[in-house]
Amino acid sequence: MRANGQERAADTGASIAGRGIKKVFGTGPSAHHALGPIDLDVKPGEFVSLIGPSGCGKSTTMLLVAGLEKTTEGKIEIDGVPLSAPLSEVGIVFQDHLLLEFRTAIRNVMLQQEIRRLDRQELRERADALFEKLGLTGAENRYPWQLSGGMRQRVSIARALVHQPSMLLMDEPFGALDAITRTQIRHDLEMLWLETRKTVLFITHSIEEAVGLSDRVLVMSDGPGKIVDEIHIDLPRPRPAHLGDYPDFAQYAQRVYTTFEKLGIYKFK
Amino acid sequence: MTTAATAVSDTPGRPFKGEWIWSLVFPVLSVIVFLGTWEILIRVLEVPAWLVPKPSDFLSRLSTDFTTIAGHAWVTSKTIAFGFAIGVLIAVPLALAIVSVRSLERGLFPVIIFLNIMPKTVVGPIFVVWFGIGPLASVIIVFLMCFFPVLVDSMSGFRAVDPRLYHITRSMGASQLQTFRYIRIPASMRYIFAGMKIGIVKAIEGVIIAEFIASSAGLGFMIMRASSFMDTTLMFSGLIATASVALVFNGLMVAAERLLMPWARQ
Repeated sequence: MRANGQERAADTGASIAGRGIKKVFGTGPSAHHALGPIDLDVKPGEFVSLIGPSGCGKSTTMLLVAGLEKTTEGKIEIDGVPLSAPLSEVGIVFQDHLLLEFRTAIRNVMLQQEIRRLDRQELRERADALFEKLGLTGAENRYPWQLSGGMRQRVSIARALVHQPSMLLMDEPFGALDAITRTQIRHDLEMLWLETRKTVLFITHSIEEAVGLSDRVLVMSDGPGKIVDEIHIDLPRPRPAHLGDYPDFAQYAQRVYTTFEKLGIYKFK
Repeated sequence: MTTAATAVSDTPGRPFKGEWIWSLVFPVLSVIVFLGTWEILIRVLEVPAWLVPKPSDFLSRLSTDFTTIAGHAWVTSKTIAFGFAIGVLIAVPLALAIVSVRSLERGLFPVIIFLNIMPKTVVGPIFVVWFGIGPLASVIIVFLMCFFPVLVDSMSGFRAVDPRLYHITRSMGASQLQTFRYIRIPASMRYIFAGMKIGIVKAIEGVIIAEFIASSAGLGFMIMRASSFMDTTLMFSGLIATASVALVFNGLMVAAERLLMPWARQ
C-alpha cells in the first residue's frame, strides 16, 4: 500500500510514532494481554533496540510496527501516516534465516524484485553490491544448505535491504549464531547502517548487542509488555568489537542489568 | 561406451580411482553366485521344474517368450502410468484445497483417514462387479493405492512453510497467487516427491494384485494363468519382469526428482 506515505527519497529512514499501543490476543477468558499500552517514538534514521525477557512483547511490537498485526488499542504512524495495511517499505530479518531452500542465495534476495516487480537489472546490481559488502561474493549461486549459518543470515539481511526500504526490522537476527560470527556480523551491520541510515528497530536478548549497536535502548518488562527504561547510548561509531574498551559501556550494560534485577527478571543472591 | 568408461577411470587425480567399478562388480558378482548356487543345487538334487525352476530355465524363457512377456509388461506399465498419473493429478490439487479451506479439512479428513487405513485390495472384487474384468478396474485400484500417500504428503508439504516467512512476503505485498507460485508450490515439491515415491511402490504392488483378480492381460494375469497351468518357470520369468517394471518406474521417479529439484541434491 502506497497510502502509508512511503513515497520518499530512498536514502532516509522512516519515523515511527506509536501512541498507547496495546495488543490483546484472543477474546474472553482465553484472552492474553501481550503488550502495552506503550508509546514508541523512533526518529528517522535512528537505531533503536528493544531488550527484555522472552515473551515481553518485543516481537509483537515489531509486528505491529510492520503492520502485520493490528493494534487492539492505540495507533501507530509511520512518517506521520496512520498504519492501515502491512508496511511495504520495510525489510524484515528473523532469528531463523527463512531462506527458500529451492532458491540460490542471489535468487533468494531477488525474490524482492520478482514479487514487487521491480527493475531486474537495477536490483541485481544492488544485490551484487550488498553481497560484496556482506562478504558474500562467490556465494551467489549456492543453495542455503551449502552456506554456513552466518552466511545464511547475511543473505537474509541482503534480502531485507535490496529494495532500499526506509526501515529495517530485526527480531533477534543474530540469536542463532556463534559468538565469533555474531561479533563480525554485528560490525558489518553497523557499517552498512552508517552508510544508509535506515531506521532500525532491533530486538535482542543480548545486552552487548543492544548497547553495541544502538543509539537508544528501550528496556522492556513482561506481563504485559511495558517499556520500563530508556537509555541513550552515546558512544562513538563505528564501535569496536571489544566494547569493554569503553568505560561507558560497562555503565550502560550495568544499567540494563540493574533494571532487570529491579524487575525480578534476574534473581542474584 | 568402453572408451568413455576407460577415459573416466583414467582421469588423473581422481580420489579412490576405480571405486565405482567395485560398487558395480560386487552386486553383479553376488547375483551370479546366488543364481549359480541355485542352478547347481537344482541340478544336483534333481528338483523338477514345476516345483522350482532353474535360473537358466526362467532366464531363457524371458527371451523365448519375449513377445508375450513384454506385451503383458507393457499392459502393466500402462495401468501403472494411468493410475499413478490420475492419482497425482487429483491428490495434489485436493491437498491444496484441503489445506486452504478449513471446513474442507474438518469434513474430509476423517473420511480420508478411514480410506487410507482401509486395505485397498479389499475393494477389488467389488470393482470387478462394477467395472467388469478389464483395465478400468485395475487402473482404479492402482489409483487408490497411490492416491493417499501422495495426498497426505502433499498436505504436509503445503503446510511446511514457516508462517513467519509470510510476514516477509506480506511486507513485499505478495498476492495470494504469487505466494503460491513463488513459495508454497516449490516449497511443497520435496514433500510431494516423497509421497510419489511411496505412491509408485504402492502402485506397482496394487497393479499386480488388481491383475490377479480383475484383468485379462498384464503381468499379474500372466503369472496367475501360468499358476493354473503349473508353469512355474513362466511364473518366475514374470517375477523378473515385474521387478524390471518396478525398477524402470523407480528410475523415472529419481530422474524426475533430479530434473525438477536440482537444489535437493546433497
